[in-house]
Amino acid sequence: MAIRVNPTFIDELDRFGAEDVQLCYQCGDCSTVCPHADDVYKFPRKSMRSLQMGLEQKIETSLEPWLCYYCGQCSTQCPREADPGETMMSLRRWLISRYDFTGIARKFFKSRRTEVMTIFTVALLTGVFLIYYGFSGGSLSIYDGEGAFLPSQFIHKFDLTIGSILLIFLLANAFHMWYLIMVKGTSFYVPWWSYIKQFYQLPWHFFTQKRYSECEKKQEHPFFMPWFIHLGLMLGYVTMLVLVMVFIEQLQSGPDIRWSVHIFGYLATIGLVTGTVYFIRNRLKKNYVQYKKSHGTDWVFVVLLSIIVLTGIIQHIFHRTGLNELANITYVIHLMSVVPWLLRMPFSKWAHLIYRPLAMYFAEIRRDALARQEKMIQSVPVLIK
Amino acid sequence: MRTGVFFCQTEDNSSLNIDAIAKYAANLPEVETVQILRLKPLPGINFICEQIKSNNLERIVLAGDIPGYYKPVFTKAVALTDGNTDEIRLASFQEHGTKGENAMDRAKAIVACATMGIPFPLAAVPGGNPVNHATLIIGGGIAGIQSALEIANAGKQVYLVEQTGTIGGHMAMFDKTFPTLDCAACILTPKMVTVGQHEMIRLLTRSNVVAVTGKPGSYRVKIRQKARFVDIKSCVACNQCTEVCPVKVKSEFDAGISLRKAIYIPFPQAVPNAYLVDETSCVNILSGGEKCGACVKKCPKECINLNETDKIIDIEVGNIILATGYEFLDVSKIEQYGYGIFPNVLTSIEFERLTNASGTTGGRIVTKSRVINKKTGKEEFIFSPEGMPPKSVALIHCVGSRNKKYNPYCSRVCCMYSLKFAHLIKEKVPNVNVYEFYIDMRAFGKGYEEFAERIKQEGTFVVRGHSASVAMRNEQMVVRGEDIFNDRLVEFYVDMVVLAVGLVPSRGTEEISRILGVQRDSDGWFSELDYNGSPTDTDKGGIYVAGMCQAPKDIPDTVAQASAVAAGVLGSFTSGKGIGHMSSLSLSEIESRAKKIHAI
Repeated sequence: MAIRVNPTFIDELDRFGAEDVQLCYQCGDCSTVCPHADDVYKFPRKSMRSLQMGLEQKIETSLEPWLCYYCGQCSTQCPREADPGETMMSLRRWLISRYDFTGIARKFFKSRRTEVMTIFTVALLTGVFLIYYGFSGGSLSIYDGEGAFLPSQFIHKFDLTIGSILLIFLLANAFHMWYLIMVKGTSFYVPWWSYIKQFYQLPWHFFTQKRYSECEKKQEHPFFMPWFIHLGLMLGYVTMLVLVMVFIEQLQSGPDIRWSVHIFGYLATIGLVTGTVYFIRNRLKKNYVQYKKSHGTDWVFVVLLSIIVLTGIIQHIFHRTGLNELANITYVIHLMSVVPWLLRMPFSKWAHLIYRPLAMYFAEIRRDALARQEKMIQSVPVLIK
Repeated sequence: MRTGVFFCQTEDNSSLNIDAIAKYAANLPEVETVQILRLKPLPGINFICEQIKSNNLERIVLAGDIPGYYKPVFTKAVALTDGNTDEIRLASFQEHGTKGENAMDRAKAIVACATMGIPFPLAAVPGGNPVNHATLIIGGGIAGIQSALEIANAGKQVYLVEQTGTIGGHMAMFDKTFPTLDCAACILTPKMVTVGQHEMIRLLTRSNVVAVTGKPGSYRVKIRQKARFVDIKSCVACNQCTEVCPVKVKSEFDAGISLRKAIYIPFPQAVPNAYLVDETSCVNILSGGEKCGACVKKCPKECINLNETDKIIDIEVGNIILATGYEFLDVSKIEQYGYGIFPNVLTSIEFERLTNASGTTGGRIVTKSRVINKKTGKEEFIFSPEGMPPKSVALIHCVGSRNKKYNPYCSRVCCMYSLKFAHLIKEKVPNVNVYEFYIDMRAFGKGYEEFAERIKQEGTFVVRGHSASVAMRNEQMVVRGEDIFNDRLVEFYVDMVVLAVGLVPSRGTEEISRILGVQRDSDGWFSELDYNGSPTDTDKGGIYVAGMCQAPKDIPDTVAQASAVAAGVLGSFTSGKGIGHMSSLSLSEIESRAKKIHAI
């Protein structure tokens, strides 16, 4: 398969955060210390090399960036200070923009201004629409039930609309990812039963993030801290998403607390709050290698998330204490930040929620196929003459 | 010739005022335009073309710390405007040593020479002084020995100052030299003996230079000679004192892998061939003459005097040669290799002593044996001749070298000595696997590439890819690496790891540079005046550098440089010129000389 070289690829990656790739002199120290590198998936050195050579087509079909969880050992060890860990991170950003067929992700990653402006515009439009809707049919002093400012049935429909838009984009991007990796990037035959055999990988990696915990073994963090908190944040987020999409009517009703639903909400909130506080603190303190360089989108990510969490909590308190006017106002603000967040999801870092488990799944399928291929080659006798 | 001067400064050099130099350059004859380009990226080619056309320039001078970086752009521009590309002159401040006192005048002179099209070293020749025909050489390694012999053989007086008890330096510790696999001692020891017996060489061992005064051509040097406690002339090296000495400490000559007594001879072929007492470990000296003293009673020649005191020696010399050498980087601070934790992780110099036939195991390559220390009751790992030979050995290149955290530079000798080790192991241990982990094979000298090919053919596994982890798994060392050429990750179980440790300037370098006022570069090595043009001179007149103290180099290069220094020193005696501080040359002197050459 002929590969076309893109000589300016490395300059483009510069905008995604990979600044020091040119420094790499291919010693292989990074691959040596990486706890995830194995015989089939060797990184980060090979990815660095592909980048230096401008093999854009090879990188867009590669799985390696998704198999890295950025423990930072390679960057600590690197004798050239070429920062392979950050390069893998930037490659993930680039891949997100590559999987996205609309080109929006690419714009967001390249220019922080465009991203912030878009978020503000969407937030403003949402705010105007919600306030218009609220005053046209209800009163600010009623939170739920008859004549409410934002009735839960309406919010449910609103959520489902936003959710289906999100789902369409995500599925399309995931399909694009599958096409790039399993069709364009895999030149050998992949048996269909591999897809079924390895399917358990998807939920397994989605709910446990096993590989992340393996990554931290040699690190200085106590109790697998980043993995634990990352898992808490992710589970909290998913629980919240399910609650909002499906159980919003039970969640919003009455000043009294429905424990059967709310207990999940509280647990999810704990996960979200710890997660955002932990990651913001690390990004500010820069104690660990992986938090030393923060891309613009990383900051948008954590700041927006913390606004959502904060307004959500405040709104919940206001509603339960009977301050309906304030509760309605904070609810509008909360939704103003939630809508751009959800619409931005397929085009941002948050998409790795889907891509990572998919990548593990594909990685195992490809590994199976490769082993089968090698077996076949070995069993066929080679005719010399 | 219509000349344009462009100042291309990548970063602000604190000792130079570029504006002042630019003003000076504007007043030079034939200079049409002077521009200061404070640019990190390259200047635009259109801009340069415009400048050349509008000023009708015939010659372009690029001035700055590294003007060569900008030359390609200017060359293109000149070629585009149909100019003569040979008329692009570089005025490199860094190359011609503009630092310290007089830096401004020197920078101006460099620009002036470039505008006239004259090579700067041609114009900047310091004037002659009467020269004292004695020479001081600091450091008694192969470089110092070679220079001393060259100068003494020409009939001139040489003072050879050596810090330790014997001359020979690091080369005396080596087993074989690469790439010829000659015995190092067979080359070195005849030279050492000649130095010891030469009538024109005064050998001062256990000595340090304390102070230097005077001007080029006549330096007055104060040397402190530490007490040896043994009379060199009457000692016959009968070894009886060592037999009775109760103190045991690690041997410096054996790189710490064996023990020596407090009264000892560094190695049997030492020059001067006499014993000495280590005042930091001798019981008698440490207790103020109260305890022990067994060696004094035992000595049949009565040549041991433990009450001897240090001497101060004053000498007058015309030239000083620095040959202070190098030492090894402290590997225990590079944690991933486990040096100091795993017993069989060795540095290169330790392995060199292990494989040397005069070493503690008699040249047998063995792993360390576990013994119980009788005094402390703890278990220790030591080399003994009965130890088990290793079944597989890993050699790791570039340990601390080419690494931004430790030494950014290449230590230049490690690739070759590691290949030599591979050969020695293959030769001495039957059925052994040797793995070489390298980043880039720097086999740059005569016969080196052939040597590397030969080692590969001998069956050494040469792995292109560095290893950054040595771990212990079930009492067995595991070295992990990436075999880049074969595209796989490899793990080898090994019994011994030899680290090719990077080189750093020796400990006394900083003090010597302070005493003599010689500049050092950012890595700590002595700065030569001009890397290409005068690699042996320093900016101080009559002070030369030879060997490793200037930068890492192998034995052939060291010997060549040492001989080159001797030629410079002897030249100064016959011509009476070439003496004088380079940095003290005044601007008007260089200018007038440049004009004279220009007129010719």
